[in-house]
Amino acid sequence: MHNFQFLIIILFSPLVNGVIKKLKASMQGRVGPGVLQPYYDLLRLLKKDMVVSTVTSWIFKATPYIVFAATVAAALIVPVVSTLSSFSITGDVIALIYLFALARFFMALAGLDAGTGFGGEGSSREMTVAILVEPMMMLALFTAAISAGSTNLVRIATVQSVNFSPSHLLALSAFLVAIIAETGRVPVDNPDTHLELTMIHEGMILEYSGRYLALMEWGHYIKQMVLFTLAVDIFFPGGMVQASGGVTIVAAAGIYALKMVGMAVLMALIESTRAKVRFFQLPSILGSAFVLAFLSLLTHIMMEK
Amino acid sequence: MKNWIEAFSVIDYISIGILLTAVTLNAFKSIESYVKAYTINSWLLAGLIAVVAVLVGETHLYIAALLTLATKGILIPLFLRRIVRRMRVTHEIQPYIGNSLSLAISGILVAVVYASLKDGIFVTGFSRNALQISIAVILISLFIMITRKKALTLVIGLLFMENGLFLAGFSLTFGMPTMIELGMLFDMLMGVIILGIFAVQIKRAFASADLDQLTVLKG
Repeated sequence: MHNFQFLIIILFSPLVNGVIKKLKASMQGRVGPGVLQPYYDLLRLLKKDMVVSTVTSWIFKATPYIVFAATVAAALIVPVVSTLSSFSITGDVIALIYLFALARFFMALAGLDAGTGFGGEGSSREMTVAILVEPMMMLALFTAAISAGSTNLVRIATVQSVNFSPSHLLALSAFLVAIIAETGRVPVDNPDTHLELTMIHEGMILEYSGRYLALMEWGHYIKQMVLFTLAVDIFFPGGMVQASGGVTIVAAAGIYALKMVGMAVLMALIESTRAKVRFFQLPSILGSAFVLAFLSLLTHIMMEK
Repeated sequence: MKNWIEAFSVIDYISIGILLTAVTLNAFKSIESYVKAYTINSWLLAGLIAVVAVLVGETHLYIAALLTLATKGILIPLFLRRIVRRMRVTHEIQPYIGNSLSLAISGILVAVVYASLKDGIFVTGFSRNALQISIAVILISLFIMITRKKALTLVIGLLFMENGLFLAGFSLTFGMPTMIELGMLFDMLMGVIILGIFAVQIKRAFASADLDQLTVLKG
């Protein structure tokens, strides 16, 4: 039973996105679409025919499956409500980051593959952001990994529940910036529009339609929820089913739902109160977050033995 | 209350906050955010003194916390804001080196301080972490003063440095006698007023508070 907790992420990730959209709408005084709208969108896309450009190669057709498979594999590694999953021995935080990198690499290739201006633009921007975000994310995760003595996520989630210190606060703030950049949210990218010249993620998948688009979108939702789960696993891991002294699985599911709602509220709040910055100002913001992550690692090594 | 402070390492959290406000100076572009950062820094400093006062239980520390809050947390920021309004400064701060690079250099400065104070001079006081952080704040504010052009940013760099020095002294000695602290705070207040008036005069004489243009003599 504990081995099937990844299904929670896969099935509920569109819901999380719907909740964020709804919260954002209500913060901005709009009614907004219902929280189930992402499911309807996915169903509609799955039923539709695809239009595939004749100039594309196999990369374009393989990418949706690779992206979806990589994000599902990432969802398998992350402990959701229980630390007893037997998938955990197969992966750690570094594997997780590289699974995302694999998905991103193929997405960028597919963006270039169709040969449109927007696709190439999106790909080059995505890569620029990735260069800045990946090391920052790693440093933030390593802070937690060092204090847990392992890069295994289950081990981190088990140890961290009794172990919160100033360096983790710094790492958490850097990690939140990383989540915003990775999920293409407002200070970095605008998830609501296809019509701006500033788009990053939407630019890359602009050529996709029908089933492929559904897979890409669903993969994106899953990635978002995996990152949220990772954040709460590492920094607020209380209330999980554990080998000794945990809570029951129903209670763990409830606590997990609360944590996800908390993350959704945070994201909606950030998106509603911030304006998107110019692309060339991004290195400054992401650079600050990188220094935060660096300081967190430093503080942990030097001050907390 | 005492157990609570120790269990949640409140002192460490506040010290990290003080360090963060100094580091974020490197990322800010407008003089208003500099003043804001200084205000937060001073409030955190006052909070730290209050926390230590609760731990040690000495009355003069409570007084020091209140005085810090009143002068550094309220009076000086108010005065700085007034000067910013009066000078009608162009809000962009043009540093000699870019934001990302100066952030990176601040990170390295912190690393150097942490590494060199790992063991050694810490003899008495309440927290080695606070001492390390105070030295880091002093170095970062020195760096800010070197790399920014506007007269007011230099004043704020100096104020940050004073906060760092205060924290350093405080973390080693549990606070100086109230008379000395009173004198220091009064000196600071006067210093800021003089420097503020001075900056306004520079602006009036040179039509700019940009220190690059102060190389020419003016009769």
